[in-house]
Amino acid sequence: MAECTTGNDRPSPSSSMDSSTHPALSTTSSARRPPARRDLSTDLHLGLSLSTSSSLQAAAESTPSTPRNHALSDWPPIKPFLRSALQKASSVGSARRQRTLFVKVYMEGVPIGRKLDLLLLDGYDSLLVKLCHMFKTSITYADVMECHQQVSGHKAAHVLTYEDQDGDWMMVGDVPWEYVLMYSIDPFAFHFTAYLTYVYCFYRLFLTNVKKLRIARMDKC
Amino acid sequence: MGRGGSRATGAAAPPWHALPDEVWEHAFSFLPTAADRGAAAGACSSWLRAERRSRHHLAVANCYAAAPRDAIERFPAVRAAEVKGKPHFADFGLVPPAWGGAAAPWIAAAADGWPLLEELSFKRMVVTDECLEMIAASFRNFQVLRLVSCDGFSTAGLAAIAAGCRQLRELDLQENEIEDCSIHWLSLFPESFTSLVTLNFSCLDGEVNITVLERLVTRCRNLKTLKLNNAIPLDKLASLLQKAPQLVELGTGKFSADYHPDLFAKLEVAFGGCKSLRKLSGAWDAVPDYLPAFYCVCDGLTSLNLSYATVRGPELIKFISRCKNLQQLWVMDLIEDLGLAVVASSCSKLQELRVFPSDHFGLGVLTERGLVDVSASCPMLESVLYFCRRMTNEALITIAKNRPNFTCFRLCILEPHTPDYITQHPLDAGFSAIVESCKGLRRLSISGLLTDLVFRSIGAHADRLEMLSIAFAGNSDLGLNYILSGCKSLKKLEIRDCPFGDKPLLANAAKLETMRSLWMSSCLLTLGACRQLARKMPHLSVEIMNDPGWSCPLDSLPDESPVEKLYVYRTIAGPRSDTPSYVQIV
Repeated sequence: MAECTTGNDRPSPSSSMDSSTHPALSTTSSARRPPARRDLSTDLHLGLSLSTSSSLQAAAESTPSTPRNHALSDWPPIKPFLRSALQKASSVGSARRQRTLFVKVYMEGVPIGRKLDLLLLDGYDSLLVKLCHMFKTSITYADVMECHQQVSGHKAAHVLTYEDQDGDWMMVGDVPWEYVLMYSIDPFAFHFTAYLTYVYCFYRLFLTNVKKLRIARMDKC
Repeated sequence: MGRGGSRATGAAAPPWHALPDEVWEHAFSFLPTAADRGAAAGACSSWLRAERRSRHHLAVANCYAAAPRDAIERFPAVRAAEVKGKPHFADFGLVPPAWGGAAAPWIAAAADGWPLLEELSFKRMVVTDECLEMIAASFRNFQVLRLVSCDGFSTAGLAAIAAGCRQLRELDLQENEIEDCSIHWLSLFPESFTSLVTLNFSCLDGEVNITVLERLVTRCRNLKTLKLNNAIPLDKLASLLQKAPQLVELGTGKFSADYHPDLFAKLEVAFGGCKSLRKLSGAWDAVPDYLPAFYCVCDGLTSLNLSYATVRGPELIKFISRCKNLQQLWVMDLIEDLGLAVVASSCSKLQELRVFPSDHFGLGVLTERGLVDVSASCPMLESVLYFCRRMTNEALITIAKNRPNFTCFRLCILEPHTPDYITQHPLDAGFSAIVESCKGLRRLSISGLLTDLVFRSIGAHADRLEMLSIAFAGNSDLGLNYILSGCKSLKKLEIRDCPFGDKPLLANAAKLETMRSLWMSSCLLTLGACRQLARKMPHLSVEIMNDPGWSCPLDSLPDESPVEKLYVYRTIAGPRSDTPSYVQIV
């Protein structure tokens, strides 16, 4: 069964800048690391933490679905006053969240759907967990399907699909993480709100394209 | 030297090299820059003597490059001194606390040797309350105190300045960490004190006695610059403006309140009276509805600093579009491409643009488009600092073609290693175009996905480049070698998170003495190379920084030990004696 592997239990988005206090200081392991060309999926995780080389190495070893939530306090190169002003703005923003992205979710064969705010989740895995709870069934998506088929003979009964902007139904999980977003979220929704801070970057391309989710039976795929 | 015989009989004019010092001192007073004066001083010993004795302004770019006493002995007539401490990357948290940069030795030496000192300016240094007390007590003619990005003092120190400096004209506190001791330092300016021209306490986090401030502003009729902190409510701002309509520069501090037509009217009237206002900053938390209160001053504005203003949308754009004479614009990326397009068409006199990120991980609509538009339409644009999320080589090439007059180009793509988002290529071609086209470029910061090739271009073409900042770039030692073996005018080089190792550093050791300083962190340096460098170049101070929690004596470590942070600078003062335990001088 797919599990949330994000490594933190916060149910609501919070400032990814909370965790930074002192600048992360170097460790000696940082000096020897692989050459500069890395695959972009690793770099994307780094986008959140924007780490020094020590976490570059660690990130390279972590699985793609593990986000790094610690933002470093020495990147981007902005002065302390701006950094703390942004931190204040973002922590206020998460306290009174005004951004939502509700999508409809239908289970195949059930005419009445549910609604789900995708921005309350922090990755495909937590999406799956939430949906499994909502619909009381086992659901899977593209990446995990392959993994499950290798690991155990158990096949999930349903697979998660979504309707994208072209109106096509696609299996969730194939959308590459690497290309960061152009959001389908209405820009005016941002107009007078405080900043939504966190960091659903794994999620972002998916969010930009999804309009509806459908849980389809496996044998139909 | 005489011409013709008829004048030869009388007293001949003294040969030029025997002219009295006063003549030379007078001549040198016309030299515009310190570099010119330095060159003149190098010509001969009499010029040296005349120049140094008449030097009134001294800028010490690195407080550890020379000992304070030596500076004072060499230039005994200094009236205005400016000293800088920590390396630039300290601004971004890369230098651990208590590194150094104490102002106290300079102030103590100045108190001894420059009793007539009028101006002091410290940047990125540790200034204590005792320092400020000493300033107030030692210089009877003290007029200007400017502290930029300093820390170590509190409102108690400010109180000493207010009470003791009877001739104070400028108190300019920019982005300092000031401890609030709840001392009403403003009230310590005596009632008879009226000489203030500049008062900037925008970085002070704490309450201010508004009545006292109002009285101060009222009696200082020459006040030209007033920058408030966030403790001044909007209606009080209006009253202050009415008492000081002669202001040229205003920092509004906060600019928010619930919208109320009466308050709006009051603000409008207040700004209407400020016919001389040229520079505006602040507007933190600005409420868009109040922006129109600024409209009457828009025409006259030459500088607008909204770098902490989180206002966005049509009101912001409308406001900026009315500022037709703007030369300097600092704004957050909330202005978006659309806003910058409006800036491009409205602000034809723009010389400097800075766009700051509003949210590290947020979703703004500021792209390379904005910068391309502004650089295409603003012919006088020469300085740019731009934070954005994506860039293309094509955009950079276009920008380079449109604006060969750039002197400062700093681009920060927020995510490290970001390639050209259309072609997925590195941004080498784009930045190469910048350095090839902008022959007068003095400062450059590069970002995005970059290989060694960009450094080849920079090394070969950036002849006037004085400061270069590099982060997350390059493939190999070649990159650093290109820079250090090229870049004829390079003074400051700061590098972080690049795969540069020992070889280029050692191969170009001599270059380092022609530069002011080099910073390298999270690169591939070893202790052995630093030791070799220090041995080879006795006029360089080679500082290594470890984890503050880890104080292993340097001598016990093998040559292969990696060095996380290296700071090298030239100095005539020898190794400094005030290093914390985590800094070791090799």
